[in-house]
Amino acid sequence: MLALILMFFYIPVFLAFFWSFFLERPFGGGSEFVGLQNFRRVLSDQEFWRAMWRTLLFMVLAPGTAIGVSLVLALAADRGIRLSHPARNIIIWPKAIAGASIGLVFVFIFNPHLGLFAPLNDLFPGLWNPRIDGTDAYLMLLVAQVWNGIPFNFIILLSGLQSIPDSLAKAAAMDGAGPWRRIIDIQIPLLTPQLFLTFVLEFVGSVVEAFGLIDTMTEGGPGGATTLLVYKIYVDGFKAYDLSGAATQTALLMTAVAIMVALQFRLEKRVKYER
Amino acid sequence: MKDSGMIENARSVDRAATIVLVAGMSFILIPLAIAAVTATQPYETFIEAGGLSFALGGHFLDNMEKILSETKLLRQLGNSLAVATIVAVMKVGFCFLAAYALVFFEGKFRRALFAVMIATVMLPLDLRVITTYQIVANVAMPLNWILDATGANWAIEKVAGFRPYFRLSLLDTYFGTAAPIAANCTAVFIFRQFFLTLPKDLPRAAIMDGAGPIRFMIDIVLPLSKTPIVATLLFFFVGAWTNYLWPLVAASTPDQQTAVVGLARIADSDIDEIPQVPLLMAGALFVSFIPVALIAVMQRQIVRGLNLSSR
Repeated sequence: MLALILMFFYIPVFLAFFWSFFLERPFGGGSEFVGLQNFRRVLSDQEFWRAMWRTLLFMVLAPGTAIGVSLVLALAADRGIRLSHPARNIIIWPKAIAGASIGLVFVFIFNPHLGLFAPLNDLFPGLWNPRIDGTDAYLMLLVAQVWNGIPFNFIILLSGLQSIPDSLAKAAAMDGAGPWRRIIDIQIPLLTPQLFLTFVLEFVGSVVEAFGLIDTMTEGGPGGATTLLVYKIYVDGFKAYDLSGAATQTALLMTAVAIMVALQFRLEKRVKYER
Repeated sequence: MKDSGMIENARSVDRAATIVLVAGMSFILIPLAIAAVTATQPYETFIEAGGLSFALGGHFLDNMEKILSETKLLRQLGNSLAVATIVAVMKVGFCFLAAYALVFFEGKFRRALFAVMIATVMLPLDLRVITTYQIVANVAMPLNWILDATGANWAIEKVAGFRPYFRLSLLDTYFGTAAPIAANCTAVFIFRQFFLTLPKDLPRAAIMDGAGPIRFMIDIVLPLSKTPIVATLLFFFVGAWTNYLWPLVAASTPDQQTAVVGLARIADSDIDEIPQVPLLMAGALFVSFIPVALIAVMQRQIVRGLNLSSR
């Protein structure tokens, strides 16, 4: 198994960096050392930077929304009211549904002529059209990603809330802190480790998980408005056979992700709470 | 439950919580409900209604029948089952052993091993799909490098008169699709966390009773770990089932593709006409049914077994 990890993890990671210094021909046609030329080519490509910015924006918006929504839901489910039981079950269903499958459903729901907003479009033509309007398409992608991202964050945050000792809430209640007050002053601060975990995982996840959604919903369009880096790498590598370009972008993206995760871990050291 | 023993008026909070949960469940369920309703409509009614409508059509079985007869989704469902099972068993089996070694044995390489595994959690497969594809397309590639680098190839060329180049592709195989997904050590952390909660005297007692490390693992640790093992197996099964980018490139023939990939390919085929939306929705339900049922039925076991709170 360690051999498998070497084979299918370390060698591919190494290969991405290695190939970024070579001009690799498709179909094994040999390679040629070109130094930093690949990086120069990629970094001077407007399309790369646009995809990078779209990815970064997505990495802020999607985890932020998904975690915010999950936090509110988890706080509500933690109240132990009658609905908590079914909610705990239903809210994690999307975990079992592939992005590519739900993408097909969402693209139908958001279809400007067939979907939910079709009547609105009849009244105000051109109000909503993710096939033409890039912002609409990006929003549509975001909604689908949040839908798919809620369950995991919800599970983590809810089990975090449930591990907060009851006695703390009781003590605070004795001191006169109402339930709203306790959410702000006790529950959320004590949830910091779980919030941190969800941010790290969602951050990395949002870079790649949107692929299934993009491929089934927009194919990167309209006009590249939803071409995140992971999709661009796929198109460059598997459709345009630009192996060196794709490997270089992979290397850059992996470096960016590694740096961001490292930064987040540094941040964690500062905000550590002892229970 | 938490506030039931307290004397305080929590009604406003509980009312807000109810509203929040209703809204949350609606957000999750409405897309699924729309898919389910549309899957019951015949194509003609769908066109007549001008798209989305909330009328049940009574053609659910007809649409399902079409899925079974006109697409390869049933076979692809079998592929998904095979790939997801291989992934879950490999991942859980290895991570269990690795975590066991990390927790119960002092070793020189423990820290190094831990670092080696942590990295696999940070860089997901979809991020390195380009080069992983190249490796799976020829798993003998590293062997060729070694032969080249050590000069063995040069020697063979002198003696035999040809330059050996080995080629073995795992594309379009279950193993080739499953192994790269399984090369990930997330579960090591879950098992490690779990093992650390076991009583410290357990291994000592086992040694006193004369049990070796393998005995101790099989007779004591394994039965105790039933909950996390079941949970991680289910979790990774579902995770592998819903994977898309890697299975999309790892299997190129419809007969070897997984169900999720197969579904997306059906959606691709007719881009010009009004898509067969009812059929697609039926297909989406068809490929999602098994994992959703697993999650819905086993929700408690999964959440408890992953033990995500004690991080």
